[in-house]
Amino acid sequence: MNYKIAPEFIPVIDAIETHLVGKRETIALSLATFFAGGHLLLEDIPGVGKTTLAKHLSQILGLDFGRIQFTSDMLPSDILGVNYYNQKEGSFIFKKGPVFTSFLLADEINRSMPKTQSALLQAMEEGIINIDTKAYTLSRPFFVMATQNPHEEVGTFPLPSSQLDRFMCSFGIGYPDKASEREILKGLTQDTSSTTAPLFSITEIESYLQKAAKVTLSETLLDFLQDIITFTRESGLFEYGLSTRGALALTAMTKSWAMLQGRSYATADDLQMVTGIVCAHRLHFKEGHTTVLRIQHEIFTQIHSDT
Amino acid sequence: MTYFKSFQPTKFSPLALLDMAYIVILLPLLLMLKIPMLVFVFMVLTILFFKKTPAKNTLIMFVFIMGILALYLSLYGTFSFRGLSRLKLFLELLVYILIIVVSMQRLTRVINIYLLISPMLFLALSLFFYYGMYMLIYVVFEIFFLLWMILAHHMEGDVWEGFRSGMVMFMVSLPWVVVLFIFFPRISFEHASYGFKGENIQRMGHDGTMHLDSKALLVPSNRIVMEVGFDKDIPSSDLLYFRGSMLYIDKIDHWEPLPSYIKRENKMYYPTEGTNVDYKVTLYPTQKQWIYLLDMPSMTVRKSSLDRDLISTLEKPIKEPLHYAASSSLSLRFHDVLDSYTLQMSSAFSKEQNPLTYKEAQKLKTAYLSIEKRAKAIVTFFQDQSLTYSLKPEPLDINHSTDSFLFDTHQGYCVHFASSFVTMARMAGIPSRIVTGYKADLENSMKNYLAVKEKDAHAWAELYINEHWVRFETTATASSIEAQSQIQQLKESESQLSKSINLYLMYAKYQVETWILYYSNIRQLQLLQYAKENPKFIVTFVMSILALILFSFLVIAHFRRPKYSSETLKLLQPLLSALKKEGYLRKKEETLHQYFLRYLNDHPDKTAIKEVDRCYEQILYAGDDSKETKKELKLFIRKSLT
Repeated sequence: MNYKIAPEFIPVIDAIETHLVGKRETIALSLATFFAGGHLLLEDIPGVGKTTLAKHLSQILGLDFGRIQFTSDMLPSDILGVNYYNQKEGSFIFKKGPVFTSFLLADEINRSMPKTQSALLQAMEEGIINIDTKAYTLSRPFFVMATQNPHEEVGTFPLPSSQLDRFMCSFGIGYPDKASEREILKGLTQDTSSTTAPLFSITEIESYLQKAAKVTLSETLLDFLQDIITFTRESGLFEYGLSTRGALALTAMTKSWAMLQGRSYATADDLQMVTGIVCAHRLHFKEGHTTVLRIQHEIFTQIHSDT
Repeated sequence: MTYFKSFQPTKFSPLALLDMAYIVILLPLLLMLKIPMLVFVFMVLTILFFKKTPAKNTLIMFVFIMGILALYLSLYGTFSFRGLSRLKLFLELLVYILIIVVSMQRLTRVINIYLLISPMLFLALSLFFYYGMYMLIYVVFEIFFLLWMILAHHMEGDVWEGFRSGMVMFMVSLPWVVVLFIFFPRISFEHASYGFKGENIQRMGHDGTMHLDSKALLVPSNRIVMEVGFDKDIPSSDLLYFRGSMLYIDKIDHWEPLPSYIKRENKMYYPTEGTNVDYKVTLYPTQKQWIYLLDMPSMTVRKSSLDRDLISTLEKPIKEPLHYAASSSLSLRFHDVLDSYTLQMSSAFSKEQNPLTYKEAQKLKTAYLSIEKRAKAIVTFFQDQSLTYSLKPEPLDINHSTDSFLFDTHQGYCVHFASSFVTMARMAGIPSRIVTGYKADLENSMKNYLAVKEKDAHAWAELYINEHWVRFETTATASSIEAQSQIQQLKESESQLSKSINLYLMYAKYQVETWILYYSNIRQLQLLQYAKENPKFIVTFVMSILALILFSFLVIAHFRRPKYSSETLKLLQPLLSALKKEGYLRKKEETLHQYFLRYLNDHPDKTAIKEVDRCYEQILYAGDDSKETKKELKLFIRKSLT
């Protein structure tokens, strides 16, 4: 893929790369997902740097970091918070759960029961949680980075597609390439426990979020985008097509990726770049495995853009 | 390079395509259907229009019974087992059965092989009923239409794409068809003469007699009797006499030829005087046996017989357009030695019938001993009678027609002139006879093409002088032309423009019929001969074939031109094809930007392409539609090409 990250974001990627060597693209895409206002689902085997990515990204962005390690015995209150009786004052007091943060890492989300999963997913979608008839607004921005281990089946509760749809993007990190791995093995990389200083102020983040939303989509590109959406629905390759929320996610990601390259308009390249990661967890091939690359390949060899 | 869905083509279901093909194919056949069958077709169409679901067996059975009923009613009376041997009736029956079967099959809404084959069968069958030039044009259209529908079906009902491909195929084959057609003419068999034959409406010919009474009123009809193509230039107007029949016997109110049972000594004296002309004639059905040849025929036309009066006849009446090549020696006269019977028949007259004329004739007979001078004197006598040429003359006293014409009414047309002249010549002792035929009008000619119309029918006299039969244009003795006829001529001249357009159309039609419908190895040889004589023609021929090829290429290029979704993309085409030539094929999944980057990776020095990419991106995605950017794009495209 051809892209050129805008200079203002280069330091961010550089800084995180010192902890996650050779994964610039993954870092950039995570950043784009954040600026698109969506949530990210990292799907990969343990030990490739999912948590590292989350931790350092939150630090760079200067956001409050919260982390929940999902287990099968977890209850919704463990995430959202609980009303407890204060004997001294003689009244119920709400103790905020870990969800009241700006950057939430939901580790191994598929380990908890559906009941608990859905508590988080509602919060992700609406930005509001209701506990005992009282509504609590979550902070803004609110970014969830969930991880799940696709290969462990025992004791997991796979997310239903309705809930998967709430994540804007889903991708893995993958093994590092040889050169990068050697660097890691040599111990040249930064200690994971070290912290990174924030590079953005909260107002800057707000302005980037707005900027991403304002990126222009030309008519030609919208045509192309609609062709893709129609293709997923009518080609017969997939069990079901892209939902409107999925289409909106695709649009938002395209815009955000364009913004990350310092452009005020999106191109077909941007769309191509993000289509796979937006669609991978939303679409299922009728036959065979669904992967980002396969989706990318099937869509773009069959839909030709005059661009 | 097409967008998925962004260009929404008109799509038709296979059934709709099939229906369209049937409509086009059945259209000419509908004209020949008898009314019960037409009602049946209408009924089926109504059912098809209202019923959009597959028909049940009961309905199909009903349609079947109605079809059989319609077939029975249509052929009622004509149908008999003996009748089946008649080809046309058999074909008609075939068409009816096919219509019933197709209707039943169509109602089931299932496309099977019968339904697919039937349009071709209908097309083939319709050729038995129609074979004019218009049908030829329609058949070409039908074949194209079928091709189009088949292609559209294979392109998932995309009619426009089907049309484009069909047109390309059609144009690719066109020069081949023309060249093959010219070099390999079709062989025509006499007994397999169905096919395209041209128009065959019956023409009025001579009926072999010549009436002097009101029955003989002339119809100044513009219908064409025959079309003549001269190998060289058309002879001058005073030589264009086409002989038809020869009349000898005066039956008071009409003239008749010699009875057919009379066997005359057939001693031929082919005329040799005068210049020889070769020509080809298309004679439309006259239902008579005569064929018309220019005075004087110098050879026998194939399959006809030429008698000693130089009258050409066929064995059977002409019921279909007839084509023949002929040769004549243009002359006023031809040598003949009269046998006694012919002498007797060409000298017979009745004194009592026209006493006044007889008296005058006797005067001339005694005054001029030389036959030649006597004939001249008769002409002078006619001229002195101040005769008027009139298309609507006063009725003659039919029992004394010549007297009545010469001394009473003084009005008449060719028939009366010829009849009176011959009567008087015989009275004056000169053997004579009447020739009927056509006197062509040069107004109906163009280049070497001459059309002879019904109104050109004519009669003249032949006098036997000094062992020669000599033609006398008897009508020329008229000293005036009646006002009525003049008015008519004026009327005709008013529409000069439409007349010349009409003539031009006739000429074009004749050329098409000559060189396409009746093109045969004879024509091919003629063409070859012409080419030998005119080397220029070969150049013209090759040039026109090349022009045709060029034309078809242009049409193909037009229909194969790629469609671009935007003007900018069109601007980029020269650059894209240049890159393609360099071996950089754009991958399916590649955007233009990626394509350019791939190229730039290998050629980092081509900065112009980089700029092109930038401008293109600006226009396409950033909504920059300013003229400057477009200009810039054009500039960089040009730069990158150098």
